[in-house]
Order: sequence, then structure tokens, then C-alpha cells
Amino acid sequence: MHVLLVEDDLILADGISRVLRMHGMAVDIVATGDSADTLLQHTEMAVLVLDIGLPGIDGFEVVRRLRARGNAMPVLLLTARDAISDRVRGLEIGADDYLVKPFSTLELVARIRALVRRSSPQSHELQIGNLSLDQFSKRAYIDGKPLELSVREWAVLEYLIQQIGRVVSKTQIIEAILTWNEEVSLNAVEVYVSRIRLKIAASDLSIRTIRGFGYVLEKTGQHNA
Amino acid sequence: MSWKKPDSTMHSIRVTLLKWLITPLVLINLIGAALTYGLAWIPAQTAFDQSLADGVWALVPRIKELNGQLQVDLPSEAEQVLRVDHFDSMFFVVRTADGKPIAGDHDFPLLQPSTEIDEPSAYDGYMRGEPIRITAIRTLIGNKQVFIGAAETLRKREHIRNLILSSLIVLEILLTLILIGIMWIAVTKGLLPLKKMQSDLGQREHNDLSLLESRKQPLELQPVSAALNDLLDKVRESAAGQQNFLADVAHQLRTPLAGIKLQLEWLQPKLQEGSEMAHSTRLMMSSTQKMIRQTNQLLALARAEPSRFEKKQLTRLELGKLVESSIQHFVTESDKKGIDLGFDLRAALIMGDPYLLSDMIDNLIDNAIRYSHVGATVTVRCHTEPDGGGAVLTVEDSGPGIALSDQELVFSRFYRVSNKVHGSGLGLSIVRDIANDHGAAIKLTSGGGRQGTIFAVHFPPVSH
Repeated sequence: MHVLLVEDDLILADGISRVLRMHGMAVDIVATGDSADTLLQHTEMAVLVLDIGLPGIDGFEVVRRLRARGNAMPVLLLTARDAISDRVRGLEIGADDYLVKPFSTLELVARIRALVRRSSPQSHELQIGNLSLDQFSKRAYIDGKPLELSVREWAVLEYLIQQIGRVVSKTQIIEAILTWNEEVSLNAVEVYVSRIRLKIAASDLSIRTIRGFGYVLEKTGQHNA
Repeated sequence: MSWKKPDSTMHSIRVTLLKWLITPLVLINLIGAALTYGLAWIPAQTAFDQSLADGVWALVPRIKELNGQLQVDLPSEAEQVLRVDHFDSMFFVVRTADGKPIAGDHDFPLLQPSTEIDEPSAYDGYMRGEPIRITAIRTLIGNKQVFIGAAETLRKREHIRNLILSSLIVLEILLTLILIGIMWIAVTKGLLPLKKMQSDLGQREHNDLSLLESRKQPLELQPVSAALNDLLDKVRESAAGQQNFLADVAHQLRTPLAGIKLQLEWLQPKLQEGSEMAHSTRLMMSSTQKMIRQTNQLLALARAEPSRFEKKQLTRLELGKLVESSIQHFVTESDKKGIDLGFDLRAALIMGDPYLLSDMIDNLIDNAIRYSHVGATVTVRCHTEPDGGGAVLTVEDSGPGIALSDQELVFSRFYRVSNKVHGSGLGLSIVRDIANDHGAAIKLTSGGGRQGTIFAVHFPPVSH
């Protein structure tokens, strides 16, 4: 995966490129908006990580020109400001996501991966530890053995796996699994989750309850996904 | 803002105005009263003198010269007529030019008639121990000069004079009082805009630096309010400058902090577990995290600053949704500390600024997690009070509680209850500022020493 990083602070640029390389990404660094703009006219990258406050033309302008050329490359903005107008403006102008400095390696990598995943064609296969999911046939396997899941249970498990490590509320689960003219109660969600818990007991995943709110699917033995 | 009671060295516009109006007015009234008295008394005195002179003239035809001797033909009935008066005693005398009395009261005081013949003169005198008014003339009977005098005591005159005086005094006092009343009202009315300005300024919140509306003020006050507005402007500018400086510093720090953090995160996994280098790197990381948090807190504080708060940015918000948006972070944090974090989120509608309120919720929950021991319970709740009440957000922990003596202080900047826990000391001041911005009240319940603390933020009801 090839990342173009545009950041004028050399120490931060160096840090970002090191951690991204550590996570298996190839990184090109430029320090000004102008050089980024020139480079982007000839080169195709998987993702653009772009600081807003740059010497010369700023990050907003780089994105604006990129989109004006019809380039749909995913863009992650980095900003030291948390002024709301900056965030809104960045997203309006065509950036896909933003990250407020200082951020952690995990956050940065997760955001970049999510952007790339969104822009590239979906694969039907998902593999987390010993659990694999075939989204085409709507079947799940642990160590190759198929799981007995109802349609609703499958939908809940799929949603939880898509949101792995994230806290999701029961309402969010209902909204995600609902097709039109159906009704699902909060109690029903609890029932689905407790059944799924039993069925995936043999996997490396566990579902933790957040009291009064919802659930989080975690890899066993690792809390902060 | 409260006004001190003015001490004696202070000037009062009202007192100055009244002093300068009332003193001349009373003087003018006194002079007017004296003139009025004169104007009323002099004609009365003249009339009385005239009627006394009539008595004298009535005597003249009764004086005859007989054989070179002057005689007065005054039967007792005629004398009675002369002497009759309801109030005063009447006296008279007829004397020859050498002073020999030929009729009347022999003890009549010396006559001082005018040097002209038949020209009556009136003057004051004493007789039998009483003040009297005398009219005297010099007349010729044949070729002999005769002095005739008539006098009366002053009771009638005093009576009239007292009548004039007392009615004048009553009239003047009434007039003066009415005028003072009118002036008092006029001065008060004139000073009303000043009083309004004072009460407007007095009712302001300590952070309200909005300008005075000078268009509605009288011409004379406009320079004052313009000067005040200039001052307010300067104060506001300097407050905003301070806030901007804080915000600028904080976000200038963010890029280098991000650099340090990422370099350390790259370095850490490469170091051998348990080595001195790993230990030192972990400490650097911990310091960096603290600096990051402090920087973010300073920014949050600058954002929450009431002078920056704009009511225009308020939108209708569901408290539960706001809590939800920061839930991920706190589930991770509570997990690290083994704290049971729970929620009970019900419908609670408020008007607010979503970014500031997120700062507030973050700080309340962060505070509860930070100061609770391993295995403690933290519960975040929101609901709407029944019967048209407002929304309430509560964060309850089963932590060590806050001593009564600390409960007021926890909201002040850089105050920390425990130095065992790394906190910015800013969290609860941020919470307080944001609550103030939204007109919300914070209630802190902690059984001083007993376990557990509840922070409750009561929002004003939202009008539909």
C-alpha cells in the first residue's frame, strides 16, 4: 500500500513514515503543498495523508485541486486546529476523514486502512483469528467448521465484526440489521447476542457487555483493539 | 458590580443640583415675602392713620376763641363718640402753642406736629405704658396756633399686621414646599437615565462585556457611554487576545507533540522488555501523554471561556447521543483500569453547543475514571425531570469521595485533590465554565469521606 504523506514538520513526518512502514506501508514524504500538487498530477497513490497548515498552498487547496482533476484518491487530513469550521470545511471540500494532532499510531493506521478498504472493491471473505466470514453466502466458520446461525444472528455477528473493537449500542445494532417493515426490540438484541456468544465461544473473539448501553466485540486477551 | 455607599467626600449630582436650586429659591421667596408684607402693611397703616386724623379734624370746629381765650366746646356725649372704639383705647388732647392743655387727656405725650399748618403728621409713641400711634396737627383758631393730637393703642393694627404676616408665612411655606417637590421630581427624572445605566451595568454577569446601547441614551450621557464602550472594547480585546494566545500556544504544541509520540511509539516495540532503555522510553511516553492531555485541556479551557461563548451556536441536542459519541474512548480507558463503566441514557433534550458539551462530558467521565480505584463502578445517566423540568446529566462513581472541605475547591483551576493521580487540574473548571455557558447548574454530592461521588448537571428546560 503506497501512502503519500504531506507534512512540513520534519520530525513528525519522519515519525509517521516510520510507524507506517512498520505496519507494512510504503511512504513518500513531501513538505509543501506545491510539491504535493505537482506530484499528484503524475502519480497515483493508495491514500493521501495531508497536513492542513502547509507552507505555500495549504492542505485544503491541495484537496480542492485533486478533486477538481476528478481524482477520487482517499484523503486523510491532519490538523493541529480543532476549530469546528476547519473540520467541516475539510470534509466539504472533499477530504474523506480527519485526525487531530497528536494522534496515536494505532489510530492513524486504523483510519488509513479503513479509507483504503472503503475505496477498494469489497472482498467477501473476512478472517479474524480462527473465525472466517463469507459475506456472499452469509456463513461463518471456526477453524473451518461451519456455525449454525439464524439470519438475524448472522446479521448481528457480521455487524459486530465490521465494528470490531468499537462500542456499539443496541439501537445501532437494531438499525444495522433491520430491513424495512420489521420490528426488533432491545430485548431481542440481547437474546441474539447471548446466543452468538455461546456459538463463538471456541473462537478468539468475545463479546463484552457495556452496562446499560451495548456491546463491544474484542479479540480475546486484547482489550484495546 | 456593586456600588459602595457614597462617603461624605463624594459629590452627588442630585444634592448639588438641589442645593443650587433650593438656596436661591428660598432667598427669592424671602425677599418676595418681605416686599409683599410691605405692600400689604403700608396702605393699611395709612388708612388707620387717616381715620385717626379724622378724629382730629372733628375737634377743630369745636375750638373757639372767646375773649382772647381758647375754649373747647366738647359735651360729654361728643367726647364719648370720639373715644369709642371696640378694640383700642382712644386718647386726644388740645394744647395751646405754649403747651397748655385746654381739653382732653392731660398726660398725652408731647405733640410733634408738622411745621406746616393743617398738615397732619403721624408717628409712634408711648402712653400709660402702652405703645400708641399718634396723629398731630397744628392749626390756627383766629390768629392763635393750636396743637391737636389724637392717639390710639395698636391692638387693631397689630391684629391686622399679624393676620398679614401669618397668611404670608403659610403661603410662602406652601409655595416653597411645592417648588422643592417639583425640583425633586425634575432632578430625579433628569437623573433617571443615569440610574438606568447603573442598574443595567449592575445586573451584568461578571463576563458580560457587551456594549452599552448609546442610541437610546440622552445626549448628555452619550459621551459617557461611548467612553465606557471604548473601555469594554479594550477589556474584551485583551480577554480575547489572552484566549487566542492560549489557543495558539496549545495548537502550536500539538505538531511537535505528535512527532515525539509517534517516534516513541516506533521506538518502544524495538526495545528489549525490562531494559533500562525501555524503562526510560516508557517514562518519556508517559510524560508526553501528560503534556498532550494538558495541551488539550488548555485548548478546551480556552474554548469554554464564557467571553468566547456565542449563544448563536446553540442547537437542539439529545444528551444521550453526545455521551454515545465519546463512549468508545471511555470504554477503552475504563477497561485499562478494570473499572465497570455503565450507562443509563434516557431522552434528555437540551439546547447547547455540541463541541463544548462533548468537552464537558469527556471531563466528567474522565474525572470519575481517573480518581476511582481498580474495580470501582462508574455510571453515566441522563434523563429529563418530570413536570416540565430540564435535562439532567449525572456521573456517579464508587471512588474515594470528595471531602467537604475540598468540594468547593475542586472547581478551581489547577486544584487537585490527590497528587497520586495525574490530572491536569483543569477538568472540573472546564466542566464548570461549560455548564455556566449553558445556564446549567452543577450539583456535587459526596458523603465527605464516605464512598462515592455524584456530579449532576441540571440544564434549563428547553422551550418547545
